[in-house]
Amino acid sequence: MDKIIEVTGLKKTYGEIKAVDGIDFYVERGKLFAFLGPNGAGKTTTINIISTLLRKDAGIVSVNDHVLGDDDALIRGDIGIVFQDSVLDDLLTVEENLWTRGSFYGLSQEELKENVEIALAATNITDIRNRRYKSLSGGQRRRADIARALLHHPRILFLDEPTTGLDPQTRKSVWNTIIELQHKHGMTIFLTTHYMEEADGADFVIVIDEGEIAAKGTPTQLKNKYSGDLLIVEPDDEAKIKNYFDDKAIDYVKANDTLRVTLDSTMDAIHILSDIEKNIHSFEVKHGTMDDAFIGITGKEMRE
Amino acid sequence: MMFTLLLKRHLRLYFRDRASVFFSLLGVIIIMLLYILFLGNMLEGAAEEFASDNARFIMDSWIMAGVIAVASITTAMGAFGIAVNDKEKHILKDFQVSPIKRTTLLTSYIVATAIIGFVMSVLVLVFAEIYIVMYGGEWLSFSALLKTIGLIALAVISSTSLVFFIITMIKTQNAFGTASSLMGTLIGFLTGIYIPIGQLPSSIQTVIKIFPLSHAVVLMRQVMMGEALSVDAMPDQFVSFMGLRFTAGGSFMEPWIHIVVLVAATIIFFVASLFVLNRKDQAVI
Repeated sequence: MDKIIEVTGLKKTYGEIKAVDGIDFYVERGKLFAFLGPNGAGKTTTINIISTLLRKDAGIVSVNDHVLGDDDALIRGDIGIVFQDSVLDDLLTVEENLWTRGSFYGLSQEELKENVEIALAATNITDIRNRRYKSLSGGQRRRADIARALLHHPRILFLDEPTTGLDPQTRKSVWNTIIELQHKHGMTIFLTTHYMEEADGADFVIVIDEGEIAAKGTPTQLKNKYSGDLLIVEPDDEAKIKNYFDDKAIDYVKANDTLRVTLDSTMDAIHILSDIEKNIHSFEVKHGTMDDAFIGITGKEMRE
Repeated sequence: MMFTLLLKRHLRLYFRDRASVFFSLLGVIIIMLLYILFLGNMLEGAAEEFASDNARFIMDSWIMAGVIAVASITTAMGAFGIAVNDKEKHILKDFQVSPIKRTTLLTSYIVATAIIGFVMSVLVLVFAEIYIVMYGGEWLSFSALLKTIGLIALAVISSTSLVFFIITMIKTQNAFGTASSLMGTLIGFLTGIYIPIGQLPSSIQTVIKIFPLSHAVVLMRQVMMGEALSVDAMPDQFVSFMGLRFTAGGSFMEPWIHIVVLVAATIIFFVASLFVLNRKDQAVI
């Protein structure tokens, strides 16, 4: 397995508060990796440490085979970051912003010119290149922020809550841009989010809560493990079904005209349904969602 | 290319922010208004005794010399505002995660400040000359113009260093705003422009003589007022009262002393700033 980021025993405290309390994880090259957790869970702190912005208290971090603390300058050349709050200059145009920030990477004028064009095209903002950053809409700003992070063709793109504060439609189009960067350019994407649907679209998810890793796995693994599937039946003869459930010691909940059973696995539904098919009117089997998984893991709903 | 583009950025940010350009000239505007409304007539009388026909030219030159020197420091303050803003708005984070050296960034702020200070001070000089000529004075001769521009450069470098030092102590935009307005209002007193130095108690006179920029004002007065009447032809009492020459130990200071003071202050504040910055852990400014 090709690990592009490896983190062992990472710790960071602010006074009394343990922002990150000894976490271990790795990120595979070329994958979309999501850090899921409520605000204040330690997501941004972790990103800031890996990106050389914050000093760690303890632990070992390597990024693209460079050791954090020893080769920070090399790490900086390998990563691009989209911060939660925008860091471009309001009074400069998109293109002026890109030229300025792009000059930090020791590219020649020709290379920089080419990279600016590529970044503009990759984020679909070529048409607004001459507009001042201040005058852009939320979605356009986010795209410009992403373009800035792409200027030096980084191996890893960090995005801290990239879609927060955007309207649903813009969120979707920004999200598509991110997916495209991963697929077309083979970039490793490391993002933090508190949107379940985004975590669901990742290759691998780490749920972080109160500075510790609460769970990790692919979205499907997490859903299978932490959120049972749901069987909903609409009985013809409710008494008979209830008897059957009681006999088999299956827990159920009655809701309106339906009975709901939480399953360990979707396949269990087949056995139950074959036993009761004569006495039901209709049925539905629902996969657990990331929302259910998150509640299963942390015991709480996502705080906004 | 990194440095030039960074420099370009700072300059664009300063000049595109009209409000901040205006505010960095506020100190200058206040002095001009005070002079036009009240001080002018009052001061003109001081020169009438020995120069009845061009008293106005002499006194206009007197105030403008001060105004130009003041512009060098208030605009430097405004220019360094970019660095403060970068920190406050977390733009600095973006620089810190890039492979750019802290010294490169720091130097870019300092050079940008010096350029902005120089351009703005020369601009003020142009307006000052127009004003002087409008009220019956004459344009600066070519040699006086060269001297004035040289003095502006010296004043700007010294002011940049001083402001750099002030900025190292400042953490927030709010503190910066307070420091700027304090600077804008106090500078006229600190350099003996609102009120002629001879009218102030000796303790305040000492403060003015210690403040480095006052020495640029003195030299600027000698050059600009000298265009109306040779300084040697002016009565000693007037020369010392108006701060055309500073006295030290009962005799007038030679021009080279003022230059030494300005250069020394530049070095001292620059070294002090680096010292402060070195003790800070993370902050760039």
